[in-house]
Amino acid sequence: MTTAVQVEGLFFGYDQRPLLKGVNLEVPSGSLTVLLGKNGSGKSTLLRLMGGLLPFEKGRVSLLGKDVRRISPSERAGLVGFLPQFHHPVFPFTVEEVVLTGRAAQVFFLPGKKDREKVRQALEALGLMDFRDRPYNELSGGERQLVMVARVLAQDPRIILLDEPLSHLDLANQVRLLRLLKDLTARGLTVLVVLHDPNTAVLYGDQVLFLKEGRILSPEKGRGPWEASFLSEVYDTPLITLPFKDRCLVLPG
Amino acid sequence: MSLKLRPFWFYLIPLPLALAALFFGPSEQMGPDRVLSSMRLLFGGAASADETTLARSILWEVRLPRILLAFLVGASLTISGTALQALFRNPLVAPEILGLSSGAAFGAALALSLGFLPLQATAFAFGLLAVGLSYLLARGRKGVSILALILSGIIISGIFTAALTVVQFLTDPFKLQTIVHWTMGNLHNANWDKIRSAVIPMALGGIGLFLIRWRMNVIALGDEETRAVGLNPEREKVWILLPAALAASAAVAVAGIIGMVGLAFPHMVRMLVGPDNRKTVPVSLAFGGSFLLVVDTCSRTLASFEIPIGIFTTLIGGPFFIYLLKKSRFTMGEE
Repeated sequence: MTTAVQVEGLFFGYDQRPLLKGVNLEVPSGSLTVLLGKNGSGKSTLLRLMGGLLPFEKGRVSLLGKDVRRISPSERAGLVGFLPQFHHPVFPFTVEEVVLTGRAAQVFFLPGKKDREKVRQALEALGLMDFRDRPYNELSGGERQLVMVARVLAQDPRIILLDEPLSHLDLANQVRLLRLLKDLTARGLTVLVVLHDPNTAVLYGDQVLFLKEGRILSPEKGRGPWEASFLSEVYDTPLITLPFKDRCLVLPG
Repeated sequence: MSLKLRPFWFYLIPLPLALAALFFGPSEQMGPDRVLSSMRLLFGGAASADETTLARSILWEVRLPRILLAFLVGASLTISGTALQALFRNPLVAPEILGLSSGAAFGAALALSLGFLPLQATAFAFGLLAVGLSYLLARGRKGVSILALILSGIIISGIFTAALTVVQFLTDPFKLQTIVHWTMGNLHNANWDKIRSAVIPMALGGIGLFLIRWRMNVIALGDEETRAVGLNPEREKVWILLPAALAASAAVAVAGIIGMVGLAFPHMVRMLVGPDNRKTVPVSLAFGGSFLLVVDTCSRTLASFEIPIGIFTTLIGGPFFIYLLKKSRFTMGEE
């Protein structure tokens, strides 16, 4: 299996305050990888760095073998799509107009027939066809989240990075989105997603990565990632685990 | 709230409106019947030499340039306001609110006073400088907030207005009258020279904005949202700002500061056709130009004396701005 995202010795900080202190990780092609960690552990920042949205000094990020710092923004858009965490819509654009902006890297002046077709497919995949003419800023938080996911799908990248895509979604929509992400990996796309709930990671993740104090934390030899002692260390809080399939469910201890 | 009317209908307005506006004017010697007969004359009808001279001077040298200039200025300010509102993701900005108009006015006054600087280029340079300063002043760690940008615009606007007063103070009385008249925001000195001087920068600005109108939708969603789909937001902003500043400063250079047009008209356009800039940009041209033409025709015919159009538009637009400010507090949160 090839590697979709490779991060080597990545350092990053805001205003001299170091946040990432030598991150190394690999995301296999066609996998759904979940990134877990405490608030402020640098998950969102790491995702932005992998998506080429933030400049960095030290380390290396490769997307399908290409150095993220050496590709043009439009080439990057074909490789990797990014779902930001918050959106502040000011103008009442319709859902369709918002999703269409996902095509920006392929459009010179005006989007064409092919772009509208991609938008239609993305809206259908997320069950948003009935919403297409609704003003985006009048939707609920969860609906908006789905629209932004549709925008990433319309962009049609090989790798998709999502920063807490389940926030604001009700349980039904959470399941719908996670199933869709699984379907995408079955079609050869690579999905890397930041989540809060370790149980969702247990249920849907092919691979789970833990970020703590600026590094990827791996369990010591002889300890599995789903052992209570390891997870308690990741979250700095007592946790217990219950066996579930070949993994465990996590509960407060 | 928007009506989502089809843009097509707006493109039909300007020509009939301009023809209709030819009939209005203070000159009693040029009533509607005379206008009609003079128009026939243009199409080869016979008339006395006297009548030809009168028609030429009133219709061709006074009314037509004024109609065209009102249309061009309205279209330029509206399209510029539409672009700036998308660029700064801020429905409360406009050329005059960002200091662009004051900067351009200072540049134009400087050119008029010194006599050796090119009017349009100087207005453009200072307009761009002013809007750039407003932006830098408002930029904080977390981007540019809507209110910070308005406040910094007020400050920069104030500085350039003060500088404009200094220029007026130092200018000899003969030229001073020209400058004072022009800063009030006026179209009554319209002539073909002004149109010739403004039409090229206005056309360049208009064409530039027309070409990148869809990208304004992308930029209007946010910097990170723009970067995520493979565009460089800073570069896109420059490509929007340059033509927007060009069109607005050209309007200021020939007509002074006509307040509130660049703020209020883009809102009306969005209410009529929705926020999609593929539609708002061409409709801004047709609607903005037509609307200012109507306002100008009123301002020169309603009263027995002529009300300077800048005063007219500010009196209408001021309350509109207050309404938007009140409304935005609820819809934009602390953004």
